[in-house]
Parts: sequence; C-alpha cells; structure tokens
Amino acid sequence: MKQAIPSILALLGAAVLQVGVAPRLAIGGVVPNFILLVVVTLAMVEGPTAGCALGFAGGLVLDLLGSGPIGVWALVLCVVGYLTGMLQERLFAEGWLLPVTVVFAASLVAAFGYWMVSSIVGEGGAFGATVLRIILPSAVYNTVLAVLVYPWLARLLRREPAVETVRQFR
Amino acid sequence: MRGLEVETRKGRPVLLVVLVVIAIILVSIYFREGEDGVLHRSRAVALAASEPVAIAGEWVSTPFRRVGGLASGLAVSRTEYEELRVQNEEFRARLAELEEAGLEAERLRGLVGFVEEQDFEYVGVRVIGRPTTSWEGALIIDRGENDGIRTGMPVIAAQGLVGQVVEVSPGSSKVRLITDQRSGVAALVQASRAEGIVAGTLEGPMILDFVDAEEAPVAGDVVLTSGMGGIYPKGLVVGDVVDVYDERHRLYPTIEVESRVPITEIEEVLVITAPGTAGDEAGQ
Repeated sequence: MKQAIPSILALLGAAVLQVGVAPRLAIGGVVPNFILLVVVTLAMVEGPTAGCALGFAGGLVLDLLGSGPIGVWALVLCVVGYLTGMLQERLFAEGWLLPVTVVFAASLVAAFGYWMVSSIVGEGGAFGATVLRIILPSAVYNTVLAVLVYPWLARLLRREPAVETVRQFR
Repeated sequence: MRGLEVETRKGRPVLLVVLVVIAIILVSIYFREGEDGVLHRSRAVALAASEPVAIAGEWVSTPFRRVGGLASGLAVSRTEYEELRVQNEEFRARLAELEEAGLEAERLRGLVGFVEEQDFEYVGVRVIGRPTTSWEGALIIDRGENDGIRTGMPVIAAQGLVGQVVEVSPGSSKVRLITDQRSGVAALVQASRAEGIVAGTLEGPMILDFVDAEEAPVAGDVVLTSGMGGIYPKGLVVGDVVDVYDERHRLYPTIEVESRVPITEIEEVLVITAPGTAGDEAGQ
C-alpha cells in the first residue's frame, strides 16, 4: 500500500489539473488529458498490472468529472494502461523518444477506444470528422505535454533507478 | 556466456478482464438507473468536490485573461501609452479593473435586457468550469441546489440558448451545452417555421434534423426554439444555418447550425427558473 502512495498522489494531482488547468489550455475545443499522461507514465515504469489498475481508477475519475456515461473512460484507460505496461515488458530503451511515441500511440488508442465505446452506446460521432477534430489533435497535444512532463513524472513514479531493470548474468 | 535479461513485471490478464467487466457493468447500470440512481448521484458528489478546484482555476486564469485583454487594447494606442509611462504601473492596474468591470456591466446589461423582454424568472450565474475533456460540451456554474437551481432548467446568454442544467450539487451545477452530442433541442426555422430537432455533434456544427427537403432553410436563416417538449421556452435563438446539403444515405437534408454563443469566452449566463408570461400574453 505504501508503494502505491506516489501513484495515488499523482492521480489526484492529475485530477486537480484536469479540472482546474486543462480546460484553460484547450485549443479549438481540444483539451489535454493529464490523467492519461499519468496512467501511461505509470504503466511504463511499473508494468501492466499497475497500469491497468491506475487506468481504471483514473478513468473512473474522468467519468465522474465529465457528463458522459460512467464507466466508458474506466474501460478504455484500464485497457490502455495494460497495453502500455505490456510494451514496457518488451522495451527497455531509455531516453525521451520512446515514451513520447508511446504517449502518442496510447492517446490515439484511448481516443479511438472512447469513440468506439461511445458509438456502441449511441453517442459517437462521424468517424472521419472525429478523427480530424478530436482524436488526432488530442494525441498531438498530449504528446507535446508528455515531452514537458514525462521526465519529471517518471522520476516521481519510478520506485527504483531505471538501470536496475536491466540485469547482467553469466 | 554473457547476456542481458530484462526483469519484467508480469501482467495479470485476470485483473484486466475483471476491471473490463466491472466497467461494462457500470456503463450498463448508468443507462438503466434513473436520475436518482447511485451513479448519477455520485456525479453530483464529484461536482461538489471539484467545485473549489474549478473556482481556483478560474481565479488563477482570470488575471492572465485580463492582462491579455489589456495588452491588446494598449497595442492600438502605443503613442498615448508612451506619454503616460510615468503613471503606467498604477494606471494599468486601475485600467484593467475598470475595463473588466465595464465589459462585465455591458454583458450583464445585454443579458438582463434580453431576459426582461421575455419576462422570465432567472438567476444570474458565473461560469467557473469548462469542458474537462475534448469529448464533452459542459460548463460548471457557481450556483446550485441552494440557489433554487434544478436539473432540466434552461440556460441562456445574451446571444441565445446555451444549454440545460444536468447535474446539481448544493453550491454548483453542470450545464450540458446544446453543442454537446447528447443534446437535442426542439427547434424551428424562423423564416419558414419548419420544425425539427437541433442535435449537437462531436465533430463541430449542430445538425437540424427532420426538416423536409421542400422546407429546407438557406444559409443565414435563424433557428429558434419551438417550445415543443416543454424543456426550452419558445423563441430563444439556437443559432444560424451555415450550410444545407443532401447526403445519399439520409432521408432529410443535412442542415448545419452554428451557435452564436462564444462558449470558450462566456463568463456569465442566466438560468431560467420559471418561464415567462410574455409569450402567452402575446398569443391572447
């Protein structure tokens, strides 16, 4: 439980930013998603289980803050957190390019997933226009934010130095 | 032999499946339960909890907006600005305050004048929160249940219809905008009186649906609330027709309507707490 405290604090911080700051950073109706950034970062440093659990919790927070059906963001972000964590298992490259690419891909998957589930429950929009107006711009916006935020967030959430995840053996 | 072994943290597919199933159950319950259901009520709690954060966000961002407005205003008369450099610091602060107060008074005069014409009972409110994701169109206002606000009440601005109250907490409320894809407004075209439903979309302009091709409006026509359904009073401006075209797969022409309300800039709105009698008197 003690080990989960930084993750919970990061999620609370992201929720505060999502309500207090994100709406003021909106460009053309596109709002950055701080909760997604925290979920993806945690999944990359902690793996699929933590990514999945925090994704569900973060998604639930987004659902409660929004006005759409409750459960859709929880569903989408727990899958995105899990998939991102699976990537972490297979990739161990350091540097900024990989995480930024992963944030871009995760944002695309999350937005597409949200559109898909919303469409199933009868609340989705036309696919082409939604891609151009929301899915792609949000992914780009989140990626730009990730460049600024990821190094600090990863340092906060990482429980051990990254180099220890690679071990030599004879 | 030397090599590298990646220390992995194995995923638990069972956890993923369990959480996905829980999420699907939540979505299902949300649609099945009524407005008084647990999930709907939990959203009112979340709204109340996020209220201080939304107010703080608005409080922090307001000076930046004011300074931005001041800077753009001063750019017009730079010579004058140079002459007054000595008094600059004090004057700028004062000017910002006065400009803001003047703009606010102008906006409120417009709002109140419009509503008094319609003879509505209303509550003036400030916008303290804006959409938290790209997927929704909602505002948070600084009045709630304690001020007589109830779900379903229409919300207007001087430019026209804004939306409808959908969540209420003791001190704040959430307003779903007419541009949100979950919104639908019974409307009519002012010129032809053709009736239809204006629905918000994810991708941009609203769509006026169920209007026959023979009665289709042209770009520039004004769309008003029709009063059908009893949610919105008759005669409120919904927006202007910006495009009309036929799509092969649709029975009715696609009529795009743009709201006149500047959603990203709007700071004050009015919640109509009781419909007026002006329309009734006119009809007698």
